[in-house]
This record gives sequence, C-alpha cells and structure tokens, in this order.
Amino acid sequence: MIRFEKVTKNYPGPGTPALDHVTVDIDKGEFVYLVGQSGSGKSTALRLMLRELRPTSGRIYVAGKEINRMAGWKVPRLRRQVGTVFQDFRLLPNKTVTENVAFALQVIGKSRREINRVVPETLEVVGLKDKGGRMPDELSGGEQQRVAIARAFVNRPMIIIADEPTGNLDPQTSVGIMNLLEDINKRGTTVVMATHDHGLVDQFRKRVVELEHGKVVRDEAAGSYGFQH
Amino acid sequence: MQLRYVFTELRSGLRRNASMHVAVVLTLFVSLTLAGCGMLLQRQADKTAEALGNELQILVNLCVVDDPSKKPNCGGGAVTGPQKREVERALKASDEVEAFEFQSQAEGYAEAQEIPQYEPYFDGPDPIITQEDWPAQYWVTLEDPKEAEGVISAVEGLDGVAGIKDQRDDLEPVFGIIDALKYGSWIGSGLLLLASLLLVANTIRLAAMARRREIGIMRLVGASTLYIALPFLLESLVAAAIGVGLAAGALAAFVKFAILDGLEGAIEFVPWIGWDDYVEALIGTVPPGVVILGPALTLIPTLLLTRKYIKV
Repeated sequence: MIRFEKVTKNYPGPGTPALDHVTVDIDKGEFVYLVGQSGSGKSTALRLMLRELRPTSGRIYVAGKEINRMAGWKVPRLRRQVGTVFQDFRLLPNKTVTENVAFALQVIGKSRREINRVVPETLEVVGLKDKGGRMPDELSGGEQQRVAIARAFVNRPMIIIADEPTGNLDPQTSVGIMNLLEDINKRGTTVVMATHDHGLVDQFRKRVVELEHGKVVRDEAAGSYGFQH
Repeated sequence: MQLRYVFTELRSGLRRNASMHVAVVLTLFVSLTLAGCGMLLQRQADKTAEALGNELQILVNLCVVDDPSKKPNCGGGAVTGPQKREVERALKASDEVEAFEFQSQAEGYAEAQEIPQYEPYFDGPDPIITQEDWPAQYWVTLEDPKEAEGVISAVEGLDGVAGIKDQRDDLEPVFGIIDALKYGSWIGSGLLLLASLLLVANTIRLAAMARRREIGIMRLVGASTLYIALPFLLESLVAAAIGVGLAAGALAAFVKFAILDGLEGAIEFVPWIGWDDYVEALIGTVPPGVVILGPALTLIPTLLLTRKYIKV
C-alpha cells in the first residue's frame, strides 16, 4: 500500500538529511506506528506520503502509484485516497460538525444526496451521531479529534495518515481515539500514525517503525515504544 | 463539479473583502475609461489625418519677377518654359505623386481675389498685390499624404522654384493636440492599470490569507486546484465586470455628450468618431478593447497568485 525505496530527503541548507535511504513497506490493512525523537524524520515521511514534499532521491509508492513522479494535476486524486488527521484537529470554526465533515466531500464534487447519506453514517462510526449540529468550540478536544477523523474517513480512503493525533489529548481520551483508529483499521483502512505517546504504543501493540536521524533503526511487528524521550 | 460551494464562497469572499473590491472596481473603472479614451482619440487622429490628408496638397510656387523669396533658384527672374518642363519632369518621375495640376498666375490671382479676407490686398487702382506678384503654381496631390519628403527634395532645388508650401504643416498643431491627449491618456491609463494589477494582487493575497485554513483542508482532502481557485477567479471576474460596465458607460457618455452632441456640431470640417468606433474601443482586439483588457487585468494576477498560494 505504501512503499519507500531508498528515500532520502534533504532540506536546503547544511545538516543531516531529514530522511536517509529509508526503505519501508506497509501492506494493505496494516496499522503502523512511526516513532522517534522530534526531528527524527517522522513528519517528513508523512508529508512525503501525501506528496506535500518530494524526495531528494529514491521512490515512493502509495496505493500502487509512484507518487514522486506523479504529474501535479493527479495529486488531488491521490489525496482523495489518503485521509489525514493532525494533532491540532484543523476544523473550520465557523462550520458545524456535520458541515466540517461534509466539506471534505463538497470540495471534491460529491453530490448532495451522497453527502447526506455518508456524513451521518460516518458521524455514527466516530460516535458523534447526536452532535452534528454543534460548533467545534462546543466540543471537547477528544470530540474535536473525532470530527477530524470523521472528515478524514468520510470519503472511505484506503489509507489514513495521523500525525500525533493524541498529542493534545489526555490519556483517557487518547485511548478512545486509538480505539476509533483501530476500528477504522479493522474496516480495511491502512493506518500510519506518527506518535510520541509511548503509553498507547505499548498498550495497543502494532507494528512499530522507529526513525533516528532520518534512518530506520527498528521495524518490529507488535513492537513497543522502545525508548525514553 | 458541485458549484454551490463555489458560489457560497464567492458571495462571502465579496462581502469579506468589500472595501478592497470597491477599490479594485474604481481603479479599473478610471483606468479602463482612460484607456478607452486613448483608443478613441487614436481613432479620431487616424480619421482626421485620413480625411484631411486626402485633401491636403503640396504647392510648388514658381518664381516671379523680383521674387520676394530672393532664392538663387529665382536668379533668372520669372520662371521660364524650360524650367517649368524640368519641374514637371521631376513631378512625373516621383513615385509619391499621384497627380499634379498647373495653375497660371492669372488663374491663381483670380482665385485669390475671391477670398474675402484677402480683399484689401487687391483693392483699388494700385493694389498691393498684382497679378505679376502672384506665383504660378503646381498643385501636387500625393499618393500617400504621409509621404512627401522625396518629391519635396526633388523639386525644391530646381531653377524656377521659389518655394514649396506643404499644407500639412497647417494641421500640425491640431495633430499635436490630439497626440498629446492620446499619449497623456495612455500614460495615465498605463499607470492606473498597473495600480489595478497591484490592487488585484493584494486583494487576492488578503483573500487567500483569510481562507488559508479552508484552502489547507481542501488541498488535503484532494480538491482540485481549479476548484480551489474558482472562487478567487470569480471574485476577480465580478470586479472586472463591474469595472468594465462603468467604463463602458463613461465612454458612451463621452461619445454622446462630448463628440456627437458637442464637437460634431461645432467643428464640421473634421469627421468625428461615432458609435462604431465606440464599439471597437470596447471589443476590439488590436489594441485590446476595454472588455478584453478589464478581465485580463484581473485574471492574470489572480491566476499567478492563486498558483503561488494554493499550489496543491
């Protein structure tokens, strides 16, 4: 589903590469934690998967396509197959929960009928069935993150990329979010999650890919967080 | 493509940046009006030059006895038959000459006497100007009123030629004024068009900043660049349409009140521009008319900036 082949990413200026000859294979339906210190290259890896960045060298395949050589006009199509969730939720404050989720479908041209059908379904999946009419500032952090996950999942993507999705949440709420991501993963969606939350990684044992100074130093099935930060 | 979102965004964008849009519309209005005036003046100048130019001729004055020009060409006194033939040969040989006609001293003198303001010179038994003083002339019609230098230089130095009168010189001041107005309005409109380009650029920058959160999400969920850019492009087009509409109205008022109801009645010897020239200034292609210029001025910076700010 996602394949990095000897991927190196250098940012302008001196210093070590953000990613250094990284080779990783993630299969369809896998749940993978990306762990490592700040600056180890986790976010760079996620941004490369979304074609927000291009690698300096190497090849990246996402959903069967080599995305580093993809024409610019095909990138939106790629992103429709990849849902993204962030630490800071990134909801639109002037739209209700339902409107926030529907927005993701509206802007890719889905019909109103489809939106009216899929959005309530998705809100039910994330446990916000009754809160569709609320504004984001009327929700708790955990609920806001659920809205963000609903928005990422509403188009039923093949992959969900989550960058520190529990970074702003308390441990109990984080467990709820993990349960939700696990549930989505069980529906067949590949989940790649960058995290610093060793409690969660140790509690929900999944494949762990650890990065250090841009290199893969560990790739372990059902691994633990493995280092203190 | 679902356009409901686009139009909702367009409405809120226009509301959010209302003051900037008003500034863009007003600048566009004034600059397009000036540009349109420049085009109309250009057409007026061409029309005037063409109409008058076709009637303009060059007069070759031949020497008289004791010629007042005191030119060496007239050293032998009044022009002689062989000298006239020499002048005619030169006129015939010139590519610039369409036709020429000889007017004798008697014919010229008789014609001049009919001009009322010259009357005092011909009055009485001992007039100031006699037939002997009046030069015989060749009236030369040109192939192209703009091209006369060749024939002038060919004839000027011939013996028996006292001087050459180029009627085009009389109209120089008129063309000078039209040219000054034309270039003035072009420079003015050029500066204002530049100002409107920059204003549009600023408006788009502000609008993109105000919507950066939405744009970020749209990019992430896979909205196409066109879809993201469409509200910006439509905002610019709306501003352009209003600016063009106002400029078209102002130019119509200029043609109607200044030209058709004003100058056309007051100065009749010049053919004036009319509604067909107005239409040409609006939708002409070379130079681009106001209807083309307005949208181009707003869409080009919008396209460039949306590429920069909302690059997928």
